[in-house]
Amino acid sequence: MGKEKELKEEIESTFKDTQIAISLGRKLIVTTKKELILNLLNFLKDRGLKHLSAISCVDWIRRGEFELIYHISSYQDGLPLMLKTRIHRDNPKFITVIPIFKNAQTYEREIWEMFGIKFEENPRLIPLFLDRWKETPPFRKDFDTREYVEKTFADKSS
Amino acid sequence: MDRTSIRKWLKVPDKMGQKYSLWVVYFCTGCGVIEIPPVITSRWDAERFGVIPVATSRQANLFLITGYVSVKTLRAIIRTYEQMPEPKYTVGFGSCPINGGMYWDSYNTIKHLDKYVPIDGWIAGCMPRPEAIFIAVTHLWTMIDKGMATGYIKYKENYEYYRNNQEKVLGGLDWPPLYSVKK
Repeated sequence: MGKEKELKEEIESTFKDTQIAISLGRKLIVTTKKELILNLLNFLKDRGLKHLSAISCVDWIRRGEFELIYHISSYQDGLPLMLKTRIHRDNPKFITVIPIFKNAQTYEREIWEMFGIKFEENPRLIPLFLDRWKETPPFRKDFDTREYVEKTFADKSS
Repeated sequence: MDRTSIRKWLKVPDKMGQKYSLWVVYFCTGCGVIEIPPVITSRWDAERFGVIPVATSRQANLFLITGYVSVKTLRAIIRTYEQMPEPKYTVGFGSCPINGGMYWDSYNTIKHLDKYVPIDGWIAGCMPRPEAIFIAVTHLWTMIDKGMATGYIKYKENYEYYRNNQEKVLGGLDWPPLYSVKK
């Protein structure tokens, strides 16, 4: 039995509200409730998955949800894992994972800038790439890029 | 030096001096900067044309903007341009500064750079070859000879237009106007 199946059984026995799938042979995809994220990350870090590669975000506009995905992996056996959770789309807030993974600061700052999700207790949520942005965060699905471009960078004639 | 150009040197020494010593700020905004190392090193050797990269904008008189210009970099471009001593010439390199190029509907990329700083010449293409820089430089020589490279004079004359555009897209500049703005 491979390591991923061991880990899958371990997670399933410890946490009840998780769905786990294995894709591409060995990649674990763990879907869970948002309350369990900190516990799960702590649990996985103790199991050797000590590297947080990225945090990504998906805007599911019709369901009114944001999906946050934590990509973590292990240095010992290279086991990759995706930890997914969903939060509400209006007035989005989430808890920071800096106490567990320090490098999450920049990723959370970028998601805050591009999607407008506020990570509570993140000490440094200041603009990263954008310059004095006042509109809807640009990576949201309801932000119309074409319209914004026509409004801001109008043709040469104007 | 060519013997036939001695008359020219005696007639308009300032123009000839500007022509053959284009000191350049390579503004590394985007992917275009990858063409610069072969240009300034031994493969194409820009110094044959008197083109030398310099440390600061205060020593330069040619401004080469290589690649796309994001809104954040535009602020730096304007500052760099305003710091350069006159006469100064600007060349946009690649298709992105001309009309946005492949970023034509991007939320964070400037589309027409000549609305914000005056541009004397464009090098079109994505990417232009290093030879294109030399074609641009020789074209610029002709333009200087004929008195057509007058971007910096236009900037002074139409400063209000440029400043308005800059303030509109950047949401306010942090420094006072370079020239007096008529109210």
